[in-house]
Amino acid sequence: MKRVFKPVELIVIAGKTGRVTIKYPFEGPLISQEFRGLIVISPEKCIGCGACVNACPPNALEMLESPDKKILRYYIGRCIFCWRCIDVCPVGAIKGTTEFELATNDFLDLYTYITHSRAHCTCGTGGEPVRMRRYVIEKAPIVENYASKCPDCRKKSLINAVSLRKVGFVGEEARTS
Amino acid sequence: MEKKLERLKRSIWIFHLNTGSCNACDIEILDALTPFHDAERFGVKLVASPRHADAILLTGPITLESLPKVINAIEAAPRPRILIALGSCACGGGIWHDTYSTVGGVNSLLKILKERGIEVDAVYCVPGCPIRPEALLYAIALIKGLVQKKVKPEVATAE
Amino acid sequence: MEDNTVYINAPREHLVDLASKLFNDFTCSFRTCIGIDERPLNGHFSVTHVFTDDRNSLYVLLKTYAEAEAPRIPSITNVVPAADWCEMEAHDLLGIEFVGRDHYRLVLPPEWPEGVYPLRKDVPYDYRPRVRGVSERLSMSTELGVIPIGPYHPALHEPEYFELYVEGERVVDLKYRGFHVHRGIEKLAESRMNYQQINFLAERICGICGFEHSTCYALAVEKAAKLEVPERAQYIRSIVLEVERIHSHLLWLGVAFHFVGYDAGFMHTWRIREKIMYLAELLTGSRKTYGINLVGGVRKDINEEKKQKTLEVLREVSSEFKQLVEVAINVPQVRRRLVGTGTLPKEYAVKLSVEGPVARASGIDKDARRDLPYAAYKYASFKVPVYGEGDNMARALVRVEEILESISIIEQLLDKIPKGPIMLEDFEIPEGRIGVQVVEAPRGGDVHFVMTGRGRPYRWRVRAPTYSNIPALKIMLKDQPLADAPLTIASIDPCFSCTDRVIVVRSDGRIERLG
Repeated sequence: MKRVFKPVELIVIAGKTGRVTIKYPFEGPLISQEFRGLIVISPEKCIGCGACVNACPPNALEMLESPDKKILRYYIGRCIFCWRCIDVCPVGAIKGTTEFELATNDFLDLYTYITHSRAHCTCGTGGEPVRMRRYVIEKAPIVENYASKCPDCRKKSLINAVSLRKVGFVGEEARTS
Repeated sequence: MEKKLERLKRSIWIFHLNTGSCNACDIEILDALTPFHDAERFGVKLVASPRHADAILLTGPITLESLPKVINAIEAAPRPRILIALGSCACGGGIWHDTYSTVGGVNSLLKILKERGIEVDAVYCVPGCPIRPEALLYAIALIKGLVQKKVKPEVATAE
Repeated sequence: MEDNTVYINAPREHLVDLASKLFNDFTCSFRTCIGIDERPLNGHFSVTHVFTDDRNSLYVLLKTYAEAEAPRIPSITNVVPAADWCEMEAHDLLGIEFVGRDHYRLVLPPEWPEGVYPLRKDVPYDYRPRVRGVSERLSMSTELGVIPIGPYHPALHEPEYFELYVEGERVVDLKYRGFHVHRGIEKLAESRMNYQQINFLAERICGICGFEHSTCYALAVEKAAKLEVPERAQYIRSIVLEVERIHSHLLWLGVAFHFVGYDAGFMHTWRIREKIMYLAELLTGSRKTYGINLVGGVRKDINEEKKQKTLEVLREVSSEFKQLVEVAINVPQVRRRLVGTGTLPKEYAVKLSVEGPVARASGIDKDARRDLPYAAYKYASFKVPVYGEGDNMARALVRVEEILESISIIEQLLDKIPKGPIMLEDFEIPEGRIGVQVVEAPRGGDVHFVMTGRGRPYRWRVRAPTYSNIPALKIMLKDQPLADAPLTIASIDPCFSCTDRVIVVRSDGRIERLG
C-alpha cells in the first residue's frame, strides 16, 4: 500500500525546493569568476609577433599582410574561447574577461583589427612589425645596427668592414649596399 | 516583410536543427528550457516540425551528408523566417572551417540558399563554444527588443 | 613487447587463425581495427587490429601489411563479428579491399566521387567536391510497413536516420543510415594542427563526453613518448572525468524519463544536474568542453577553497538524488515501460563486443577503470555494478549506481591528492612510436591510437563506444512493439557525434545487414 503512494512524495520534494528560476536578463546570470569569456587585445602592448596566430586552433586570429602593413584580425564568430593565446603571448597583451553577451545580427560587428606598420631592410626585403623589432632589440643582446638589416645585407656589410680594415679600400663589386 | 517581422516578436516558436554538431550547444538549448533558466517566460516553445516554427536554431558546421536535409527543413518553414546561428561552428565554421566534409558555416549556406531562391528574413549569430543558456536568452531578448547590442567592430592602429 | 602492450606482426595467411585464437580461446575483447597509409615510410598499407585482454591488463596489437598497388587483406568478420564496421571504414577511407566479404559504403556521403580516398596521404585535407544537395528517396516496400525516424525528429538530439520495418505493431527489421556528423577529424589532425592543438579538437568530438576523448589522446601520446606526467595532474584528470560521468548519467536519466512520459522527473533531474554544471565551471572554467588538458599535464589547479566547495556540492547532490530516485523508480508508468523491453541476451553481447552499461546490464563484467588502470584510478577503490537481465530497466539501474560510486571516488581522491607541479616542462616527442589507450567513458570503453610523426601525429584513430553498440540494436528491437522503439534506441545512450567523426557517405540506399 505504501508503495502506491510513493510517487506522491514528489510534491513534497517540489515544495521543499521552491522556485529556483533566475530572472535573467533582469537579474544577473549564474556565473562564476573562472568563466572563460571574450578576450581583449590591447593595441598599446601588442608587438605583432604572431605567436597567438600559431597557437589558435580554429584560426580565429589571423595575420593579414600587405606590402607596408601587417594587420592582426580577430574574428569573434570563430573563437572557441580556449584562452591559449593568453598562455603564449610574450608581452601579456591579451586579457580574458567573463563577457558572453555577444549576439548580433550583423556579421561585420564581430571583427577586430589591429594594424602594425612594417620595417624593412634598406634593400627592400623583410618586413617584420616595427614594434617587434624594438622588442627583440630590448630583450636580446644585439644592437640596432645588426637588427635592422636582413641576413644578406649583414653579410655584405661584414665583408666590407673586414676588407676595409685589412686592405684599406673596398672593391668595386663589394660596394653595392 | 518588415512589418510582418515586427508582429512576430510576441512569442517565438523555435525549431532545433542540428547539422552535424558535437551536441554541446544542443544540450544547452535543452538546458534553457529547464527550471533554472526558464525560457518559457518569454513565450518560447520548442516545436516538433519546421512548419510550425518562427525561428530555426542552427547548430553545427553544415556537413555534406546533411546538406540536402537542411535545405528541405529551412524551405519548409513559413515566411517570415528567422535563422539563429548558435555557436562557433555555425557562425564561422569553427574548428572545421576548411575540412573536406563541411560546407563551413552559415555564410556559405546563405549563398547556396540564394542560388535556389530561398530567402531568409533575418539572420542572428551567437558566438560561444558551447554557448551558455543565458546567451541564448540574450539573443531572444535582442530579437524582441528588450536589450541593446553590445559588440561593436574595433579598428586600432599600433603607434 | 613493452610495458603492457604486445606487438604481433603476422603474415597474411595466418591472420584469421590468430584472430580467432585471441577472440575465442583467450577471450580477449575486440576493440577496433586501423588502416594506415605507410607509403611514405615503407611503401605499404597496413591494417592493425587491437584486442585487450581484460583479466591480465594487456593490449594486443596484431598487424599485417599489404602492397601499395591494390591492397587486399583477409577479413576476420566471420570469426569476430564485431569487426564489421571497422573494416568498412578502412575500405571507404583508404581503399583497402577485404577478401572474403562483400563491401558497401559506410562513411562517406552518396555524392562523393569514386576513387578518391580522403585519408590517403596524397589527397589534401580541404578538397571539396561539387555538391548537388539532393536528398535520397525513402525505400518503399509493399509487404511491410515502413516507418522512418529522423533525421530531424523531436525525440532525437542528433541527425540519424532509422527505418523500421513493421508488421502491425511489431518491429521486424531495421535499417540505419547514420554518419551525418562526419566532419573529417582524423585528416584534420594530420594536416593543420600540432600536438597541443589536437587536445581542443578531440574535446569537440562530442559535447557530452568530450573530456575523456581529450584525456585519452593525451595519455596515448604520453605513452608513446614515454613522458612522466606529475601525479597531481593525473589526480585532477581523474576527478574531472568523474564529474563528467555524473553529469552524463544525470542527463540520460532525465531524457529517459521524458521519453516514458514522466516530465516531472525530467525537470527535477536536470535541476539537480545544474549544480554539477556549476561545479564544473568552478573547477575548469567552462560548463562544457573544459579545455584544461594538454600533453604533459593540465592547465588549472584545485586550491583549498575549491575543494571545500566541491565536497559541499557533492553532499547536496547525493542526498537530493537518492530521494528523487526512490520516488521515480516506483512510478507505475516508468516500471511498466522499462521492465522487460529491449532485451539483449548475453551471448550476442559477447559476440558483438558491446561496451559500457549495455554490457554490464547483460551480465558481462567489463570496466576499463579496473581492468586496464590509467590516471589515478589505482588509488581509489570502487565497485562495478553488474546486472543479468539485459533489459532497459537494468541499464537504468546500472547508471544510477554508477553515479553514487562516482561521488564516492571523487571524495576519496580529493582526500589523497598530493602536492606538486601540474605540468611537465621541456619535453620532446620522438617520431615513429605507437601509443594505444583505452579510457572508460560514460558510454563504454573509448580507444585512441596514435602514431607519432614530426610536430603532429602521423595517424590518429578514434573508436567511440557507441560504434560498437549500434549493431546490437538490431537484436534489441526485434519483435518489440513500435512504441518502445525510441526508448530502446535511447537506452544505449547513443552519441552519434562520437560515432561519426569520420565522414560517412551512403550512396545508393542499400540495406545493410547489421550484426
